[in-house]
Amino acid sequence: MSSLFGARVQRVEDDRLVRGHGAYLDDLGPDSLAAAFVRSPHAHARITDIDVSGALDVPGLVAIYTYEDLPARLAEPLPLLIPHPALTHGRTPYPLANGEVNHVGEAIAMVVAADRYLAEDAADLIDVSYEPLPAVVGLDAARAAVHLVHEDVPGNRAANEVQEHGDTAAAIAAARHVLELDLEIERSASTPLEGRGVLARWDEQSQHLVMWTSTQTSTGVRAAVAAKLGLDLTQVDVITPDVGGGFGVKIVHPWPEEVLVPWAARLLGRPVKFTEDRREHFIASAHERGQQHHVSVGYDDEGRILGLDVRFWHDNGAYVPYGLIVPIVTSTQLLGPYKPAAYRVEFDSLYTNTVLVTPYRGAGRPQGCFVMERTMDAIAAALGLDRTAVRERNFIQPAEMPYDHGLIFQDGRPLIYDSGDYPALLTKIKDLVGWDKFAPLKEAASAEGRRIGIGLACYVEGTGVGPYEGGHVVVETSGKVKVATGLTSQGQGHQTMLAQLVADELGVPIADVEVVTGDTRRFGYAVGTFASRTAVMSGSAVTLAARKAKEKALRVAADAMEVAAADLEITGGMVQVKGDPDSGISLGTVAVLSNPLRYAFDDAAKAATQFAGGGDMSKPPVAPDDEPGIEGRAYFSPVRSTFASGIHAAIVETDPDTAEITILRYCVVHDCGLLINPQIVEGQIHGGVAQGVGGALYERMAYDEEGQLVNASFMDFLMPYVSEVPREVEIDHLETPSPLNPLGIKGAGEAGVIPGAAALAAAIEDAEGIPVRSMPISPSELFELRRAHGQETR
Amino acid sequence: MKISGVVTLRAPGGRVWTGLTDPAVLLATIPGCERLEPAGPGSCRFAARAKIASIEGSYTGEVSVSQQHEPSSFVLTVNGAGAPGAVSASVQVRLAETAGGSTELSYDADAVIGGLIAGVGRRVLCSAARRIADDFVSSVDDVLAGSAIAGNAIAGTGMVSPPPAERAAEPPAEPEAALVPATPVPAAIAVPAAVSVAAAAPSIAVPVPAAVSSIAAPVADIQVPAAFARGVLVGAASALAGVALAGLIERRAR
Repeated sequence: MSSLFGARVQRVEDDRLVRGHGAYLDDLGPDSLAAAFVRSPHAHARITDIDVSGALDVPGLVAIYTYEDLPARLAEPLPLLIPHPALTHGRTPYPLANGEVNHVGEAIAMVVAADRYLAEDAADLIDVSYEPLPAVVGLDAARAAVHLVHEDVPGNRAANEVQEHGDTAAAIAAARHVLELDLEIERSASTPLEGRGVLARWDEQSQHLVMWTSTQTSTGVRAAVAAKLGLDLTQVDVITPDVGGGFGVKIVHPWPEEVLVPWAARLLGRPVKFTEDRREHFIASAHERGQQHHVSVGYDDEGRILGLDVRFWHDNGAYVPYGLIVPIVTSTQLLGPYKPAAYRVEFDSLYTNTVLVTPYRGAGRPQGCFVMERTMDAIAAALGLDRTAVRERNFIQPAEMPYDHGLIFQDGRPLIYDSGDYPALLTKIKDLVGWDKFAPLKEAASAEGRRIGIGLACYVEGTGVGPYEGGHVVVETSGKVKVATGLTSQGQGHQTMLAQLVADELGVPIADVEVVTGDTRRFGYAVGTFASRTAVMSGSAVTLAARKAKEKALRVAADAMEVAAADLEITGGMVQVKGDPDSGISLGTVAVLSNPLRYAFDDAAKAATQFAGGGDMSKPPVAPDDEPGIEGRAYFSPVRSTFASGIHAAIVETDPDTAEITILRYCVVHDCGLLINPQIVEGQIHGGVAQGVGGALYERMAYDEEGQLVNASFMDFLMPYVSEVPREVEIDHLETPSPLNPLGIKGAGEAGVIPGAAALAAAIEDAEGIPVRSMPISPSELFELRRAHGQETR
Repeated sequence: MKISGVVTLRAPGGRVWTGLTDPAVLLATIPGCERLEPAGPGSCRFAARAKIASIEGSYTGEVSVSQQHEPSSFVLTVNGAGAPGAVSASVQVRLAETAGGSTELSYDADAVIGGLIAGVGRRVLCSAARRIADDFVSSVDDVLAGSAIAGNAIAGTGMVSPPPAERAAEPPAEPEAALVPATPVPAAIAVPAAVSVAAAAPSIAVPVPAAVSSIAAPVADIQVPAAFARGVLVGAASALAGVALAGLIERRAR
């Protein structure tokens, strides 16, 4: 049997999902009551009254809850998940507004009724009275702090953090050349196909709560819900059903709905379900990405960076449940593959009366990459040097690995790159896109009156973030292998990738391996799915667990077959003497033998019962240090994150009249260590590129000055269709194995999106000859940029 | 949880006090009342139906009156329970004459609610209770103002009480016979003509008819007829079946 590691195995999930046999949150709980919410229409207001009398006559109305109904633990603000010493003024929302609302969409009342239609009817009839307060919208208003989002947070500043290595001010002062740049990126949002949803069922007799939620972390939700409802951990189980995309927004927990729905289910003694609609997802989940940056960079004649100073302002919305992860990732990953001699980064994380901000695929890296890569291009332009030459001179060389930047990363650990070969990446991308052959193409196009441009952008991504993940593998007497890991899946193909690893390790057909993720009943210790960590963390853990199971199987088989374990191999699910297929017994039989039985439940089991013969009568059936069954449980906890990297290059065409932007070619060279399933990795890249195109050209959250989100629907929030994404994404791989895990792999989930805005901005700038310093850029904005730079329109 | 309200009735205070003591009035105006009978000094047993949001059910229990200061105030204590839950409340009721010869009735209730009904949310309970109380008081207002009792359907009973004219015409020996549903009210609750609805009651100090006062074995110092106590308290009890809770929801939600 050839190894599955590196094979383009067809995804095992797809047949079921494509046929409509998926079980997403809204498919579950048909007998449950439905919850709907009254949400704030104001960005900032005091609530003066809530009159429910108009809703009383709605048939099927079961309950209406407001803040006053909440018991003590629920009446506290929701948890601040990731505390940080710099986060001096952290604020999180109450599950239901406590007299004040801080963004359009904040939940004020929960209605429970026989179905969602009736619940919404009732919600519409609830009359809330407000005293509007001045709204703080956008970074400029937050920085000016004429008005405050939270009365007790001066300057709207949740946090200020500085990280530095070297003496940056001195380095810049002494540099021959200095550039100053201002760069800005707009808010966007994860916008998964399936919004959030929660279903809860309380069993009064066993005092047990079961919850299903469309989340990226079952164990996180379980811990939070148990704490908020005053239950023991063992009284709560959380199951993640099929999930239609997460992309970061579903890592936040607990959402108000995730604690209110189980609370109501318990109070009412009936299952309760909530699924959000699209507008709710726009105004009541999370956004990401809005930042303003000021760069000051000192460099020499060759373009080597001597000192890089980045000052930025991060819009974290009305609350910070996820702490400072996004700006910390920007701060640290901005460095990319480069080694500036001195680096200083400072950020303010500021409140605004808008939806809260939490990671969205890339989690702060797209901003950081945009800043660094635009700076590189600006240096190259100032010196008249080739843009790849300048980058090359600043690369960390392979021989310098592991490279310590002297900063602290988002996992709380030192920012040390373990491996990577950036010069090799650059050579590959230049080949792939034809970098050195572009100039004549550009001239030829120009002669035809067309404008084309080429750009590229490099990134480094810390993946496989800790603290740990675990895996459990058990071989059943049928020969089927059941695998469980605690983190969750949102469509990435985990069930396929993890099955490949276990099938390989154990020597069984992949069809016999079944993987369950995100179910606390099957695996209770886990962190979650984020930061491109599943393959590294759960992949390593299930591999180690499978190894343990294999060892046990070989030992039991060796005993039964009276040979040495070292002489055995497992292939195609058969344990046999190496090279002798006829000698084999099935793994299922080994599983039977591993469990001494008193009662035979089927024919196969007879072999393990007490009168079946064999066995050493002087020893107990199960040795003191042993266990029945063929099982393995293992955990993987790396010393720090492992760093993937890549470069994207794009060729775009801009229309001289309409300023429409068309992507002619999009090339990706990426390094995520060894590849388990190249098809899955490519799928991840394709999806990431699509989101990168969206972020570069289309996606923004349009808030007006009153804090109203005016494009809270797909009519006005533009997401790329198939027609906007390059038909072919040209991909080349590089594999620098990671020394930090047994598989040598790195994460691949977010890579596709990180350099998208930077590469496209660079290409547009090259086509137009106009600096592009903010994204996204639409044709109208390009048109205006042209005018601002004195270009005539034809 | 506390709820309170103020309602103005068109009739002067004395007639209101009297009206509230007339079981004929009460049975015609209390939402959902199905049965009431004496249970001891100053107290009555009741049975009533109430619907809060989509939770509908019957409640039975006891009400009693205390701290009476005729004609201006008294306190009701209600304890009732049923499949939907349990209610325990204390209500301060005050009557005051207004300048125009009307009566201002104000109530302050303090209630604790348990059971299924406790789960509907404080504002729903409050709102529902207020609505029932307001329904009751405005029905009383209509009746006292001379509007026909006919057409005043008795909530939950499907029966309609006859118009006041009929009642004034005949000696109301058994006036409730026309009003009381299947479960008969003991004859002891019969109210003499002196307390009929149609009669004007110019003074607040209504003499307690001996027949009535002997019925409910009233507490010696009670000036208010037992029937008054019963009637008003039954009304309040069904009204307060939906009164919002204080800490019970929190405690229950543990």
